[in-house]
Amino acid sequence: MAKNLSGDLQVASANRLSDGVVVWLNDAGEWTTRLDLAAVAREGRAGEILLQRARAEAFSVIDPFLVAVIEEEGGVIEPLSLREKIRASGLTFDAIAAEAVRYA
Amino acid sequence: MPLYNEAGGLPATYVALSFADWRQRLDWPAVALANTDPVEDLAPHVGRLRLIVLDFPKFSDGRAYSQARLLRGRLGYRGELRATGGVLQDQVAFMLRCGFDSFESDQKGFGEALARARTLFSIVYQPTEDGRAPASLLRLKRRNVMASKR
Amino acid sequence: MPDTHFYRYDEYDRTLVAERVDQFRDQVRRRLAGELTEEQFKPLRLTNGLYLQLHAYMLRIAIPYGTLSSRQLRKLAEISRKYDRGYGHFTTRQNLQLNWIKLEDAPDALAALAEVDMHALQTSGNCIRNVTADHFAGAAADEIEDPRIWAEIVRQWSTLHPEFTFLPRKFKIAITGSPNDRAAVRVHDIGLRLWRNAAGEVGFEVIVGGGLGRTPMIGKTLRAFLPKNELLAYLEATLRVYNRYGRRDNLYKARIKILVHEVGVEKMRADVEAEYAEIRDGLLGLSDETVEAIARQFAPPHLPPRSSLVAAVEALRLEDRDFALWLKSNVAPHRVGGHAIVTASLKPAGAPPGDASAVQMEGMADIADAFSHGELRVSHEQNLIFPHVAIEDLPAVYAALGRLGFAEANVGKITDIIACPGLDYCALANARSIPVAQRISNHFADLARQHDIGDLKIKISGCINACGHHHVGHIGILGVDKNGVELYQLSLGGDVDFGKTALGTILGPAVTADKVVEAVDALVATYLDARIPGERFVDTHRRIGAQPFKERVYALV
Ligand code: SF4
Repeated sequence: MAKNLSGDLQVASANRLSDGVVVWLNDAGEWTTRLDLAAVAREGRAGEILLQRARAEAFSVIDPFLVAVIEEEGGVIEPLSLREKIRASGLTFDAIAAEAVRYA
Repeated sequence: MPLYNEAGGLPATYVALSFADWRQRLDWPAVALANTDPVEDLAPHVGRLRLIVLDFPKFSDGRAYSQARLLRGRLGYRGELRATGGVLQDQVAFMLRCGFDSFESDQKGFGEALARARTLFSIVYQPTEDGRAPASLLRLKRRNVMASKR
Repeated sequence: MPDTHFYRYDEYDRTLVAERVDQFRDQVRRRLAGELTEEQFKPLRLTNGLYLQLHAYMLRIAIPYGTLSSRQLRKLAEISRKYDRGYGHFTTRQNLQLNWIKLEDAPDALAALAEVDMHALQTSGNCIRNVTADHFAGAAADEIEDPRIWAEIVRQWSTLHPEFTFLPRKFKIAITGSPNDRAAVRVHDIGLRLWRNAAGEVGFEVIVGGGLGRTPMIGKTLRAFLPKNELLAYLEATLRVYNRYGRRDNLYKARIKILVHEVGVEKMRADVEAEYAEIRDGLLGLSDETVEAIARQFAPPHLPPRSSLVAAVEALRLEDRDFALWLKSNVAPHRVGGHAIVTASLKPAGAPPGDASAVQMEGMADIADAFSHGELRVSHEQNLIFPHVAIEDLPAVYAALGRLGFAEANVGKITDIIACPGLDYCALANARSIPVAQRISNHFADLARQHDIGDLKIKISGCINACGHHHVGHIGILGVDKNGVELYQLSLGGDVDFGKTALGTILGPAVTADKVVEAVDALVATYLDARIPGERFVDTHRRIGAQPFKERVYALV
């Protein structure tokens, strides 16, 4: 991950063990598929605590880690790196549908 | 670490010397090799050796599989061949095929897994030191039987 | 259901695959129950083809030597519907990847695969990977011998090989039976090339230490001529030398190419030959009987001789320009008169290269049943091939492919792009590959223009691991990450054709994502201005050097 992307705000993320789906840790210490519900650590020390907490709750997920995010106006959380943006919002092109016979 | 002996007999109790030490005492019947030690050098002594310990520094470092096959197949070693280090139940079927017959492992459930390991795969494709007939040989035999019936 | 003309599993093969599925089911259960840590489980799922990508698990299914029956392809479609999102991605290693598999479902998906004699074994991990072969095998006009017979022999020998499952690094073997190498044997850990010596005997040239990735290298000849029946003994000797002496201290120096490079090919040869001398008379020798029994299963379908000149085909050729272009680029000579090998392009304009929906897979299976003896092939160019089509059926095949969107007349052309999954899927990526491929594909969509530009291979990788083979692209595109921004490094002059195999050289500074199309356009324009008749892009580049290309690109971007 690029170095200059370690902002002050961080969330904890992982992939769910049973199906690999991207999840974030919420304030209640549960894993959620919604980034907007993720617990946000607002300075370095809080980040460490968040990561420890994520690791303690890691039974149903794989290898938790911290993701640098920014808070946009209105409190919307957005990952800084492209990789994490794609993890959060999915493919950046339209995958073909099962019943499709032609591409658009 | 708990020791499991596939051969069923008592585990050998000799202290295995490191390769360097053992070279000073070639009459000692037990040696522990690093996976970079040249097994070929044991050739003149295998008849006297009762225990050879091979090391898996990590379960994913597979050099000792080759050492085991060379000891059994090429050098004709018949004594106890022990695996130590990263010895996990999911690899034990491979180890058996390469000629290991005793295992040091602290993994939970290893003993039960070892008991199951020989029956996990009833078919093998390669001829190795465990003497099992590979599929190609079974096919050849079957064809011959069919041909003789004709 | 039509009979297959390639290896069929017998009860031994079936038993082994079934037992392996049972074993994996137990391992998954132990992982979900918390008895195995991720660290312990990861290598186990990897040897069963199950990766974790950005958004989900991915199952990589082996298609040995790229050969598929219509029945197998229908099953793949069914599995993609039931356990995934209804589409799959054909890879440069003749595999099929399903991108949205659940761990809980993986054992069932593998059991479903086993119903049609398929598996995902050894599509990952530091073992001998799925063996690849010429995708025209058994049909090509220039073939000496069908390489799939040997690929099947190698498949069996390498499956769950107890000694070689924890090698220093992954190990890829490719086999070709034709002088025109379509299997890229010089860029594999071991490449095997069947050829006929002066005495008229057929044997293998054994090539070792090729590969792409971080340190691309062209393989070197280890043995100029190996009698065929000694193949397994020679492979076992080579793998044993590699397993014992290959580097394990550095992930990036662990491939056999580094060992060969460091000790030199002479020393490597001496070591392998010494080991081989010990085992050549052992149990790995292949009896003629064993080889013949496998060879019989690859007996080609009976193709009654037919006319090569069919009035209806000629009429359509004159009438329909796109069909005429398709005949030129997508149809190759078959060794039986009146027949042809048809390549269906999985690269329609603007599509993710190599992807097919479940419906498309089923449609392809139908075409194979109707017109190609129920058989298909996957090429390392990520296309699907019908190996045995009668020339008189070409218009019908073309029409059927058109209905599926796979009739693009672009095979070998600039939009027949190879692209790895890149940052949209892959956890290792630096940059996206697929959207770049899509933009280039849309830009050059005009077929007449593509045919005017001629043979031009663009290959795109999203990181240095080079799954998109960018080193051997006529134009290679490598995604890099600079401070969180995707940049693309261009290289020119790569080639995989046998005898001409070459690695591309980097053109200059990487360009931003929005300039890639312009840059490629400038490269093409440079070539069009400078070419002399009959020259391909890569030939012109070889003749005039990189400078003119460089000037034009960097004047623009
Ligand atoms: S080249 Fe890199 S980005 Fe592309 S699939 Fe391979 S590892 Fe992933």
